[in-house]
Amino acid sequence: MDNQQKKHGALLKFVPRPDRPPITITYGPVGWLKKNLFGNLWNSLLTITVFFLLFLLLKPFLEWTLFKAVWSASTRRECLSISPDGACWAGIFPWVNNLLYGLYPDALQWRVNLAFAIGLLWFVPLALKKVQQKILFALMGVMLFPFLANYLFLGGDRSSVHYIVACSALAYLLTLYINIILTYLNGKRLEQHLETFMERFSKKRAALLGHSTIWFFLTVVIAYVFKDQALEHVGVDAWGGLFLTLIISGVSIVMALPIGIILALGRRSEMPIIKWFSISTIEVVRSVPMITVLFMSVTMLPLFFPNTMELNKLVQVLVAVCLFAGAYMAETVRGGLQAISRGQYDAAKSLGLGYWRTMIFIILPQALRIMIPNIVTSFISLFKDTTLVSIIGLFDIMLMARNISIDKNWLGLHTEPLVAISVLFFVFCYSMSEYSQRLEKKLNTNR
Amino acid sequence: MESTSTNPRTKPERTAIEITGMNKWYDKFHVLKDISLSVTEKEIIVVCGPSGSGKSTLIRCINQLEQYQEGTISLFGEKLEKNKKGANLVRDNVGMLFQNFNLFPHLTILENCTLGPIWLHKIPEHLAIEQSTALLNRVGIAELASKYPGQVSGGQQQRVAIARSLAMKPKIMLFDEPTSALDPEMIKEVLDVMIDLAHSGMTMICVTHEMQFAQQVADRVVFMADGEIVEEGPPEQVLKDPKWDRTSLFLQHILSH
Ligand SMILES: Nc1ncnc2c1ncn2[C@@H]1O[C@H](COP(=O)(O)OP(=O)(O)O)[C@@H](O)[C@H]1O
Ligand SMILES: [Mg+2]
Repeated sequence: MDNQQKKHGALLKFVPRPDRPPITITYGPVGWLKKNLFGNLWNSLLTITVFFLLFLLLKPFLEWTLFKAVWSASTRRECLSISPDGACWAGIFPWVNNLLYGLYPDALQWRVNLAFAIGLLWFVPLALKKVQQKILFALMGVMLFPFLANYLFLGGDRSSVHYIVACSALAYLLTLYINIILTYLNGKRLEQHLETFMERFSKKRAALLGHSTIWFFLTVVIAYVFKDQALEHVGVDAWGGLFLTLIISGVSIVMALPIGIILALGRRSEMPIIKWFSISTIEVVRSVPMITVLFMSVTMLPLFFPNTMELNKLVQVLVAVCLFAGAYMAETVRGGLQAISRGQYDAAKSLGLGYWRTMIFIILPQALRIMIPNIVTSFISLFKDTTLVSIIGLFDIMLMARNISIDKNWLGLHTEPLVAISVLFFVFCYSMSEYSQRLEKKLNTNR
Repeated sequence: MESTSTNPRTKPERTAIEITGMNKWYDKFHVLKDISLSVTEKEIIVVCGPSGSGKSTLIRCINQLEQYQEGTISLFGEKLEKNKKGANLVRDNVGMLFQNFNLFPHLTILENCTLGPIWLHKIPEHLAIEQSTALLNRVGIAELASKYPGQVSGGQQQRVAIARSLAMKPKIMLFDEPTSALDPEMIKEVLDVMIDLAHSGMTMICVTHEMQFAQQVADRVVFMADGEIVEEGPPEQVLKDPKWDRTSLFLQHILSH
């Protein structure tokens, strides 16, 4: 680097040492045990004691759940006669269908399954690498899919608008998948085939125009194909079980974040009316127990709507849960917003980005990234909190589980159903938590 | 100062920034006292002065990052109002560099540069990428385009920040101690870019204590203390032969280490 000094030639030439690979120590399983559990006398004693205590604790539990459990019987009495000290899992099996679907007619349950399958299909592309504009179609999914799902769940004579929107949801998903397949085959996307034609109308928006045209066309086709397929009406009061739990938690999880973001931004707003509205909403909703919000929504919400409008219990509950979740989420988001330094606002402002662009491109992406663990914690507790709706008489999975104990064949079977749905909840919540950790890792590698 | 002429050959120097009678208070604390300063186009001004003298506040006011209670600022003869029009005037003319770089950590270096042009100038993405790559080339870090700010050194980050500002095609650049958060060996690489910028005809106000930079490119040095402009003049005069004891004392301090 220093040319002058090199010319003198009096200095020694510095050559950096070659890098050495990092040291990795591998223990076999025995080595691991030796190092971590039996390192010295004290450690060994501790390990043995802990294992002994664990054994004492787990033994009765394992005996009850597995070794002495009864897996097939036709009544609880039969269970007890086979093994009085074991769990009576036999009582769960006849109720599985009810636990999953509530009172939804057996013959029509395919509609629920179909809707959930379509819902999953909407998620899958989010995980694919080559798919672009993920945020756009996630948003489209959030806006369109509920109509489709609702159409399938409810059936009956729905308005033609509802029918068309449901069809357009299906059409959108279809264009999405065709495009994905085409992308993977390295072909032209659907709208690109129409591009030259569309460029006649607008050069800039040719792709958008093309896509909309195809989407519209498919919607019409689908609407025509299914026009005679009447779906039998299934009232909301028949919805229940895990199905209902997933609807309530799904809607509230999806709505919590936008409501939370809006309330959090409102709280920091410089406009007094917006600020005080946000603060009072957040504080009031946060300060009352969820159960009271639920009860109030069922008794008070109808007062705000004209008498002629019939609100169903589910919609009232959804409004309440979303409000509740949003208010909590607002404080989570606010925490994230506070973690962003003033320099980021300064830089965005000096580039000339206005308020919304600063928020959308600069502040929120950073804030939400920091907030992932907290957001997912909220989601998990929200998912579990939805079991409270059983109190106001919705047949969610909790109420169904407790109904087993009043079935005349399984009278008094309280514990087993609760253990069973605990396991189910654990599976759901743990996967959410795992997913969030993966997401965090993935986003952190971008730093 | 002269009325703008349309004849390009005579090309009288326009006034780029005109600050008159500016006063600013933080609560009861009088940060800026009767500041008046006029900067002609293509002029390079170096602002120096002890910490807390209001240098940052002054240039943040020009950029509308701070509000002031009294006085006016005009850019190219147009008065800066506190409304949408004023904001657009600033956006179209002024770029700013910060001591802490303030890059957007969640975007790549290239995305940092293209964000403004794409969303504010509404130019197509490929064009924005092309222009930003050229700018990154100009500041000597084109090869880092796909990295994230956290993955490069301080000097490189500050150069990205310069490229990001330049992407908005400003006529005036404000620098708030751009090198004071840098390790000594990185200061030069940033100063070199700034010198290059100065030679290219950019109007610049630099808050800096790099007196060599001041001597090399500044047209005027402004010395501030306690919210006032104590003296201003050509670098040789202010730095070598200051009128005021306050200036002389300050210069002794920063030159002695
Ligand atoms: N947001 C603020 N609120 C109150 N006082 C401030 C604020 N920002 C700066 N100051 C004060 O104003 C004075 C000038 O600050 P600044 O312009 O940053 O000085 P300089 O950049 O010359 O070091 C300092 O005394 C500082 O404490
Ligand atoms: Mg400062």
